[in-house]
Amino acid sequence: MVTQIQGDMFTREVIADPYAYYGKLRDHDPVHWNEAYELWVVTRYDDLVWLTRHHELFSSAVFRNDPRGPYPAIDESDLGLYEYVKNYQADQFIQHDRPEHLEMRRVLHSYFTPKSMESWRPFVQAAVKELLDAAEAKGEIDVMRDLATPLPVLVIAQMMGVPAEERPYVRELAEKLLYIGRGEGDRMKPLTEGMRGMIEYVEPMVERRLVDPGDDFISVLAHGEKKGVFTRHEVLVNASLLLLAGHETTINLICNGTLSFIRNPDQWALLKQDPAGLAKSATEECLRYDSPVKSIQRIASQDVEMRGKTLRKDDRVRWFISSANRDPDAFPHPEAFDITRHPNQHVAFGSGTHHCLGATLARVEGQEVFKALAERFPNLQAKTKDLEYQPSITFRSLKSLPVTWH
Amino acid sequence: MTETRKLRVRVDPQVCVGNAMCEAIAANTFRINDNRQSEAVNPDGDSIDNILEAAENCPVSAIVVEDAETGERLFP
Repeated sequence: MVTQIQGDMFTREVIADPYAYYGKLRDHDPVHWNEAYELWVVTRYDDLVWLTRHHELFSSAVFRNDPRGPYPAIDESDLGLYEYVKNYQADQFIQHDRPEHLEMRRVLHSYFTPKSMESWRPFVQAAVKELLDAAEAKGEIDVMRDLATPLPVLVIAQMMGVPAEERPYVRELAEKLLYIGRGEGDRMKPLTEGMRGMIEYVEPMVERRLVDPGDDFISVLAHGEKKGVFTRHEVLVNASLLLLAGHETTINLICNGTLSFIRNPDQWALLKQDPAGLAKSATEECLRYDSPVKSIQRIASQDVEMRGKTLRKDDRVRWFISSANRDPDAFPHPEAFDITRHPNQHVAFGSGTHHCLGATLARVEGQEVFKALAERFPNLQAKTKDLEYQPSITFRSLKSLPVTWH
Repeated sequence: MTETRKLRVRVDPQVCVGNAMCEAIAANTFRINDNRQSEAVNPDGDSIDNILEAAENCPVSAIVVEDAETGERLFP
């Protein structure tokens, strides 16, 4: 069956409802060539799992291996800034393939084990309580501004060993780094400000940790530098990667999850009956149903056949988590938000050697937020039906989520 | 804990995401199969410390380690 599929993935309709657009691709053309952005769009669950587990066929070194320009296009005067962004991004450990990726990831891995992330739960609980106490006093909040954005920064700042009085500055930088996933033509300016600011801010911390290491994340990176696994630039870039990767994704988990509950009152009622008992499976369903990350890109390392199509070496390949997580071949009734769903082998954190390093931390943060909201604000409701999303192909990011509980 | 202790090591295929960190840490015990998931092929392949480190480093806690004789759960 030939289905006409429009090529612009950044239209208001596709950004507002990616599920209809990518669902149509999944049904009719699961390995789809998008001419406008010169990339393959992979939308089925099985294909996504296969692709992410064949890292030797699909390179993660996207910024090194993709000579094409940014998409959507940026202001021409900012092309110099884009070069800076490319060089910066290319040094992130996630932008590497084996063997370098394994060596870099091993340095960081022990910091992020499920057991050690679980030990952050009391800190997360206290941070959620502090933010909700402030919210309660106000009587209404923007979940985005007042809860979802500050929470991960509090956690990451603590992991990095940032003193309390410097947290607002780190939060300012974190918000500039969020432009990485946006579509605005002038996004390079705030983004490079955030990147340069982080480098300047973190470098003296690295110097101190080299001499006097602690149990914080910067010390882990500094140790990697000492061992010769990371260059100084890689240390600095990966410190800001923690801030970026742990920030945007958690924001989206909290906002998209909260909205899913508001729009599915039966599931909200269920969670309220047993917040502590259901927080885990509810968080997994939030991750599946309206995933924080919509898609990730690779570059084909060689010619690859997929569903009768030939993906050529150096082609851009984008795999869509948001459509794989709604694939009816992988999930019964995929359009239903069901917080008791089991099994729930969603791919919100990807799969394979690049599976999200911070997955357990994100889970802990989601669980504590949804539990606390259900316990403290049982009458939670949205203040408006007109919600907008950031024009991003990578992230499923609401612009704001004002709520009340009266 | 002595090195002579016999272990039973399992990887849950319903949970394993093929992160392959276990294979990097304890290469004689874990092998990535054709599905690109980990399998425990030889519970005596590496030291107990290495096997436990591999289990602890699994990002989705798919690895179970037990004492083969007593059944005592060593991880998680």
